Amino acid sequence: MNFDFAFAATTLPTILGVIGTTISVALLSCAGASILGFSFEIARRAGSLPAYLMRFTIDFIRSTPVLAWLYFLYFVLPHWGFTLPALVVGILGLSIYFSGYLAEVFKAGIDAIPKGQAEAAKALGLNRIDVVSFVLAPQMLRNVAAPVGNHFVSILKATPYLAAIAVPEMLGSALDIASNTYRYAEPLTVVGIVFLVLALTIAQGVRLLERKLHGPTNR
Amino acid sequence: MNSDGQPMRQTAPWPVEISQHHSAHPPDRTVAVEAAALNKWFGSFHALKDINLAVPQGSRIVICGPSGSGKSTLIRCANGLETFQGGTIRIGGAELTGDEKQLQKIRRTVGMVFQQFNLFPHLTVMANCTLALRRVLGKSRSEAVGIAVHYLERVRIPEQAHKYPAQLSGGQQQRVAIARALCMNPRIMLFDEPTSSLDPEMVKEVLDVMIDLAADGMTMLCVTHEMGFAREAADQVVFMDQGRIVETASPATFFAAPSQERTRLFLNKMLR
Repeated sequence: MNFDFAFAATTLPTILGVIGTTISVALLSCAGASILGFSFEIARRAGSLPAYLMRFTIDFIRSTPVLAWLYFLYFVLPHWGFTLPALVVGILGLSIYFSGYLAEVFKAGIDAIPKGQAEAAKALGLNRIDVVSFVLAPQMLRNVAAPVGNHFVSILKATPYLAAIAVPEMLGSALDIASNTYRYAEPLTVVGIVFLVLALTIAQGVRLLERKLHGPTNR
Repeated sequence: MNSDGQPMRQTAPWPVEISQHHSAHPPDRTVAVEAAALNKWFGSFHALKDINLAVPQGSRIVICGPSGSGKSTLIRCANGLETFQGGTIRIGGAELTGDEKQLQKIRRTVGMVFQQFNLFPHLTVMANCTLALRRVLGKSRSEAVGIAVHYLERVRIPEQAHKYPAQLSGGQQQRVAIARALCMNPRIMLFDEPTSSLDPEMVKEVLDVMIDLAADGMTMLCVTHEMGFAREAADQVVFMDQGRIVETASPATFFAAPSQERTRLFLNKMLR
């Protein structure tokens, strides 16, 4: 079978037509995973029982396949009366799955702040809320920015799983073209290249961000 | 000043005598910090054993002793960074209760300088100095900046105001940390080994600032190994070992004729 470049070019507009869905799903999932992961990490610090429960939750999430989460949410939840649109299931599934990883990112980001920072802030008379919002949170955000960016790339690359529950994203649209035309090489190659370009661009952005955050002016 | 209506305290039971220091003003006899029968454990480790210490307003007290003797723990108790299990601490006459709101209020009057500087790395020097002025004392931005500039000039570093801590040398960072604490106009300054993590050539610039402060009558409780500073600026030197106060004396007596064998051994090692 010959690779038809002209045909490959004609698949590009269709595939790029849903790039917006792919990116929005990845962004929303990354936000969801961050909120969830951060909550896990904060809960983990609340005491020994919460710590144990959260450790279990995080390990459980990280030990189950993302596709299992998507199928569970999409096919099993309706039996219990919760029917969610495929797009919502996709964002929810990716958020849950990656929250396990982002919890670790937030753990590292918080642990990396020296103990003396909170002590110095308290010694100046700042109340708890101000200690967190003016001293600890900004440093945590700086510590997690680059790792969260890297996980964003992972989430982006996981969006093709959503083809399994018929969310109109890039891999799904490539597969649609393939089943209509019986030509697989061109649409799948194009979708691969689009992901490659996206991922490389974001990774470069993360690298620049990292350099800016940890440059000479900022420890 | 005794302007806050604190009654004069009877200080007789305390081992540290109220000293006559040499500034033009008569010594303020209010007690800035007072620890009584203070005991602290870290788990099963008895870190502070029956500590009795009074720091009269206007005095400079240096605490020295081998590492692990409890000296840092003691001054960290004085602003509630460490809890304790027995005895009492009074700051300006008010007993520390462990209540969060009370602690926050007391900490406004107690400045602290740390061994590791603990400047906020994400904030400029100016923002480090103005954060508590604005958030704790509710000063306006321009008022806070004015105060910060004043104290940055005092520690001889006004030109660095817009830099970040990482752009400064260790000595400069520690001077900023001193200015940051002074901005709150504290009634007492606690120093926890302020020169111990500095390169040798930067120790002097920090000690000079501290000696200036002492000369201006600032009440200081200072954990340090800088015996030269103790000699020059302290009213009293407190020697601690294994969680106890072993000896308290004026610098002259402490260095020339310490009464305890343990102190002599320590000084022999320090002053070699």
